[in-house]
Amino acid sequence: MANVYGYTGKILRVDLTTGQISIDDTLKYKDFIGGEGMAMKIMWDEVAPGTKAYDAANKIVFGTGPLCGTGVPCSGRTNITSLYPGSPFNGVTSSHMGGYFATELKYAGWDMIVIEGKAASPVWLRIEDEKVTIEDARWMWGKGIFDTQAMIASFMGKEAQAAAIGQAGENMVNLSVIRTGASHSAGGHGGVMGSKNLKAVGVRGSGSVKIAADPKEWAELDKFLMSIIGANNQQVVPTTPQPWAEFSDKTSRWTARKGLFWGAATPPVETGECDPKDPQTVGLRTQKAVFDLGAGAEKYTVRMGGCSHCPIRCHSQLNIPQLEKYGLDPYVANTCVGYSGPRGVMAYGIKEFDGHGADSSIVGNAIGTSLADDYGVWCNYAQIGRDVKYCYDKGVFKRVLSAEEYASIPWDKLVKGDATFLIDFYDRVAFKKGEFSHIADGSAWIAERWNLGDEYWDDKAGKLWTRGGYPVHHSNEAGAQVGALISCFSNRDSQNHSHMNFIGSKLPINIQKKIAGEIFGSPDALDAPSDYKPMNIYKARFAAWSLNRSILHNSLTLCNWMWPMSVSHIKENGYRGDTGLEAKFYSLATGFKMTEKQLDEAAARCFTLFRAITVRQMGNSDLRKNHDQTTKWITKADKDKDGKEIKQFTPGTIQMTEDDMAIARTMLYKEYGWDEKTGAPSRASLLKYGLGDVAEDLAKRGLLPA
Amino acid sequence: MIESFASQDTASDDEGPDSVVADALIATVRADSAKTKLTRLSVLRATFPDTDIQKLIGETPIDDIKIMKGASKELYYFSLLSMTEAYALHLFRVEEKDQVKLVADTVRDESRIYPRPTAINAFLDSPYNLSSDEIESAIGSMSLRPDMKDIETCAASNGARYLYSTIYLVPTLAASLVEWIEVGQKDNP
Repeated sequence: MANVYGYTGKILRVDLTTGQISIDDTLKYKDFIGGEGMAMKIMWDEVAPGTKAYDAANKIVFGTGPLCGTGVPCSGRTNITSLYPGSPFNGVTSSHMGGYFATELKYAGWDMIVIEGKAASPVWLRIEDEKVTIEDARWMWGKGIFDTQAMIASFMGKEAQAAAIGQAGENMVNLSVIRTGASHSAGGHGGVMGSKNLKAVGVRGSGSVKIAADPKEWAELDKFLMSIIGANNQQVVPTTPQPWAEFSDKTSRWTARKGLFWGAATPPVETGECDPKDPQTVGLRTQKAVFDLGAGAEKYTVRMGGCSHCPIRCHSQLNIPQLEKYGLDPYVANTCVGYSGPRGVMAYGIKEFDGHGADSSIVGNAIGTSLADDYGVWCNYAQIGRDVKYCYDKGVFKRVLSAEEYASIPWDKLVKGDATFLIDFYDRVAFKKGEFSHIADGSAWIAERWNLGDEYWDDKAGKLWTRGGYPVHHSNEAGAQVGALISCFSNRDSQNHSHMNFIGSKLPINIQKKIAGEIFGSPDALDAPSDYKPMNIYKARFAAWSLNRSILHNSLTLCNWMWPMSVSHIKENGYRGDTGLEAKFYSLATGFKMTEKQLDEAAARCFTLFRAITVRQMGNSDLRKNHDQTTKWITKADKDKDGKEIKQFTPGTIQMTEDDMAIARTMLYKEYGWDEKTGAPSRASLLKYGLGDVAEDLAKRGLLPA
Repeated sequence: MIESFASQDTASDDEGPDSVVADALIATVRADSAKTKLTRLSVLRATFPDTDIQKLIGETPIDDIKIMKGASKELYYFSLLSMTEAYALHLFRVEEKDQVKLVADTVRDESRIYPRPTAINAFLDSPYNLSSDEIESAIGSMSLRPDMKDIETCAASNGARYLYSTIYLVPTLAASLVEWIEVGQKDNP
């Protein structure tokens, strides 16, 4: 094979039905960049419409990109694409996991793994460089993820990386994860692996990733990136006033300060005031445990963890000895919704229980996180907790469960805030015990199964974004119509932080607006928090850019929780970052020269293909009407403390209007050249992106807009 | 309020006694700033009597030394090598020992710059380090002063109390922002 840079050039294909293992050529998919983009092409070409998530004909694609394994900061993510069983039409989605799996896969010589079929009995996939075997998993099956990972380590060595499912995935629980490393979970596809009798993928690689770049040029670009990188979510302002900083914000993820420690380290490590001029302190900037769990978590924090080639370290690794009382390992590691998801199941909060006093909240949360992580249960971006509350409060459980089953559930613990409720909860969910366990089918399915009606969808506290059954995730509360639009287009919660890593930077609004003006054409692309204005074309550009950058990062792969680097902490540069870095690194790594605009166009191609897959799977091209509509609470006016309505687009409310959202959708469709009436990819847009074959296929099915 | 003594064309390479004293003054300011302290002119005068300190520092060809003038006649020096102007302003307000003005001016700045209300408990922490009683006393005083009638309080649904300036934030916006800061961001991680 000719020299290949960035990529390894090889895709591993595994048919679990036949046991066939073969090699495919990565570069034939080059126009789709890598990771998610290439996976979408494979799903389009090879998974027929009408296929369901748990069918053997479904495929699951573990994807890396050309930047994985090259050392680009924050390039350690694995993108997983497949049909998602929680979607009411089994829509295609992507999930992501950090850790070291992607890098190890590249070192083993593989860009991606495409798995199809179904094994006759439980298996696991063993990859050691070019040696790939399908192994007997009968002794792993039935075990939690932690033990499964330990078994793989005993077979392959502790340097091997594993992606595994727990009992939830085995039992094809719709809301289940695939997990790797100490704390990295990809939500929604665990059951797909389970449906294939695939327990885990273990990988060990002894190779390396070649880059086309001159090493000096590469090092210079890396040095530049390290000079502008911020803290988690590219937040560039510390929580407290600090001598090096012009600004501060108590909600920032740059939590480091004097007197804040990794308290359980030996000796404790002070995070301190991390002057950005010192790159050695980047990993101290985000003490994530206190951010996720409150001040009490400081004393339980051993260290921060994270992903390969990432200096940010945004996962907290905790030692909570109280967990041993429940037979659980005292070591818990996770981040963000990995904690708040299980905490959310305790719908009335976690109060003092079992003598844990002031630490009850942390101990209780850790019980939930530990169980969810081991069983491999997903939370649908914390939606499962809101669904528990809704169904309890509204008497749904009383209605749909048998009297016997209802009586067997320790509701008193839920209401009292005793977190041992979670032990019962996760057992029922992971092992599909009883009618109650359907809570983990996903919101769209319980709405249908339990006949929840419009009231469920339109409940503001429920936070469901569309009838696709997924919740807000940096939606209208984040950037007005920009966030609102972004959330409309996925088939799951949007998993998009392109806009958040800008809007949430914690810089003053005037600085953000100035930079927004430079990137999107006008400072009006960005509204001040809670002070929104009607839709405009610049917001549509911002939204499209955010959608493109997200799929771009999932294709390269880069961590969309850090990238793009739209801003920085460098006052002398007007706090600007560099939105062209993705293209610069891609060009240097692969030798395929791409400008920023060209790479964004390639991402738009991938996103348009994803849109076309959605059309085909729904069997309906009117996505405006049948896919992109939000639930009603989003457009209902708020009321002030005196009960008076606060008109939308006046200070003090983030609510949208139906008319404005309609305009917003039209503007976004236009950005892509999609049909303005239906939001489906038009022939012209498909041809523009080199997807003429897709146009023909949709046309044959009567799904191409006129 | 903050002035810069940038390099001036009249600066000379003279290594005479004045130059030595100027270097010592600059070094003192820089050393204090490295310890996140402002340098009072009155303290410099005590250390370097019979010296026109302002003139000497002003004529030295450096641009990192800034000066702030307070309501009192005191002047404060600091070095940009160790702290930003914004941080120095926080220290200045603490040094001036007018806690009511410290709180009011900080709240107005945050309402204007970001814009956002200011958490009352933020004043407990560095660099302000006020006590709860001092904060409550300042809030009480502000409510009685006509020149501070723009400072209002509001609270989030979790009980957290905030201050904001009506010059820059209307009440509904302040309330919405406070709820977002205290509750909304945690609910939308």
